[in-house]
Amino acid sequence: MTDLIKLRGVNKYYGTYHALRDIDLTIRAGEFFSLLGPSGCGKTTLLRVIAGFEGVSAGTVMISDRDMANVPPNQRPTNMVFQSYAIFPHLTVAENVAFGLRKRSDIAKSARAGLVEEALEMVGLGGYGKRAAHALSGGQRQRVALARALILKPKVLLLDEPLSALDKKMREHMQVELIRLQRHVGITFILVTHDQEEALVMSDRIAVMFAGEIGQMDDPETLYRRPKSRRVAEFIGKMNFLPGQVVALSGTDAKADVATGAGQAPGTVPPNRTNRLLTDLMDKIAPGTDTTEDTETPADTAPAPELMTVEIAGLGTAQISVDQAPEGAKLGDAAVGIRPETLAILFEGESPKRHECPGVVDEVVYYGDMTYYDVRIKDVPQPLTIAMKNLIGRPVLEVGATCRVAWDDRALVLF
Amino acid sequence: MSLRVYAIAYLIFLYAPIVLLPLFAFNDATIIAFPLSGFTTEWFSALKTNGSLHGALTNSLIIAGCTAVFSTLLGMCAARAAAMSHFPGKGGITGFVMLPLVLPEIIVAVSLLVILRQVLGLDLGNWTIIMAHVLICTPFSIAILNGAFGNLDPSMEEAALDLGESRWSAFRLVTLPLVMPGIISSMLISFTISLDEFIIAFFLTGSDPTLPVYIWGLLRFPAQLPVVMALGTILVALSIILLTIAELFRRRGIKRSGAKDTGGFL
Repeated sequence: MTDLIKLRGVNKYYGTYHALRDIDLTIRAGEFFSLLGPSGCGKTTLLRVIAGFEGVSAGTVMISDRDMANVPPNQRPTNMVFQSYAIFPHLTVAENVAFGLRKRSDIAKSARAGLVEEALEMVGLGGYGKRAAHALSGGQRQRVALARALILKPKVLLLDEPLSALDKKMREHMQVELIRLQRHVGITFILVTHDQEEALVMSDRIAVMFAGEIGQMDDPETLYRRPKSRRVAEFIGKMNFLPGQVVALSGTDAKADVATGAGQAPGTVPPNRTNRLLTDLMDKIAPGTDTTEDTETPADTAPAPELMTVEIAGLGTAQISVDQAPEGAKLGDAAVGIRPETLAILFEGESPKRHECPGVVDEVVYYGDMTYYDVRIKDVPQPLTIAMKNLIGRPVLEVGATCRVAWDDRALVLF
Repeated sequence: MSLRVYAIAYLIFLYAPIVLLPLFAFNDATIIAFPLSGFTTEWFSALKTNGSLHGALTNSLIIAGCTAVFSTLLGMCAARAAAMSHFPGKGGITGFVMLPLVLPEIIVAVSLLVILRQVLGLDLGNWTIIMAHVLICTPFSIAILNGAFGNLDPSMEEAALDLGESRWSAFRLVTLPLVMPGIISSMLISFTISLDEFIIAFFLTGSDPTLPVYIWGLLRFPAQLPVVMALGTILVALSIILLTIAELFRRRGIKRSGAKDTGGFL
């Protein structure tokens, strides 16, 4: 894939407020890229910088190897779907979609009506052309905004929180539609969102932003399984943090197979590929097809050069690979992160795991497909959140029930 | 119950004098007093043939028309800036621009007279009245247009820009149609205010009076009083019609932009 958008050392100040700090970013052609972060992190500002609505205080923005410094938004090969959709209420749906064609002398006037209908068909609004735009529902407005941008076949489509105004069902439906649409048209999509699930589901790559900086830029799986900092780990998905202590570092001659070794991964494993996320999402929309436990993901095949021995409060001793300590392997205090779905409650008849400890259920949150338990474990300062799939025949425990909690070395992340 | 009585009494107190106006305009007597003696349209006919009245009316219409256009243009600039830009001291500046709304007109009139005559040495005429009327009408225009521009989604113009239009054509194709009801409403209200305005016109008028100044002149001749009543009737009717149209346009504009009505002048 060729590089389409290159941002180098981009800084943006509003007065003394430093909105973007040294942003370096490369987005490839045909990629579905997401800018993810809490509100006020600068993700929308960055999108508006790419669109040309905001200038940069320092740095360069290149699109297709062309410096965008003095190129106004109406001459950039980008189009935007606004958070409010910005559908022109005084025009019809067809006039809205055809709006961008006004300045396109390369498209014959006679061909325009056909293009408009084609674009409306593409977003599932065929035959809606004559309707008044102000009478449309939220979901329809969004489709019109998409058609209006895509009819111009831009190199880049910028989406500013396009799904935040929709209800949950509609949002999940549109997520799938957007992915399909992006594959269909092959245009680079840049999505701004504060919803980490949305970003994980839809993106090829995600840049997580905090306070004007990019905290981590990776594909969804890496981002989820190997967050580079505690900030990222806390923002993406749920994570339990326990106090721990690194008591020993050992070289390659140590028992390398401990980290990569056998042993069933407890509970559910994090989804590992975008297309898998897509099928998961489709399952959510049409549930009832998947009742079996996810199969084991292949263990890391990369050789572990070094191991760390960590004492975890309440859980015991773990041996983990230095890969699992993104902020560096060093002796002393550390925070140990564990995702809720990598922990498991062992039900009757289930064989004992490598690591196991007794606990008491403190809180039960039932989601239908999943149940989230908060489990108190002796010497662990806070109850651990554990996510369990509600498989056939598996009971939902009650508050106060005692249980066995299993955990795995390979699921730990050290900060 | 007592509240209802109060409301009715209040409305009578407010509108009875205005109701008396047409009553005496059609009364067949030169003395303004009850009992009414008979029906006549004589006073309205007298208006038709009065040459100096026509001159005053023409003056007033020119002044009101120019005032409507200029104050609305200024109001558009101010309302757009208030709604879409952020700059230091914005709140203070907006408050300052709205000040003439509450400034006593007599003070505006006297100070303008001093400045125009003594300081600048200008001759008084229609243009001096237009300037003064623009000064007092602009706050009204801003108040109306603030609603129109404030309800506008700032992304609208950006969307047009993003779709290839220039700044000006984005404004013309998207913003202007959406605020048009507000513009019409603002022009009608400025027009009405300028047409009715007396104090400033009285101070700044040159040799050709405006209609209210002319009417004031007529009051010195008791025999002309019924004619003034007839003229007043026409002006009241005209004002009510214009203000109603203005309000209809304002409401239509708010409905079109899909926002909630937060009240207006009517």
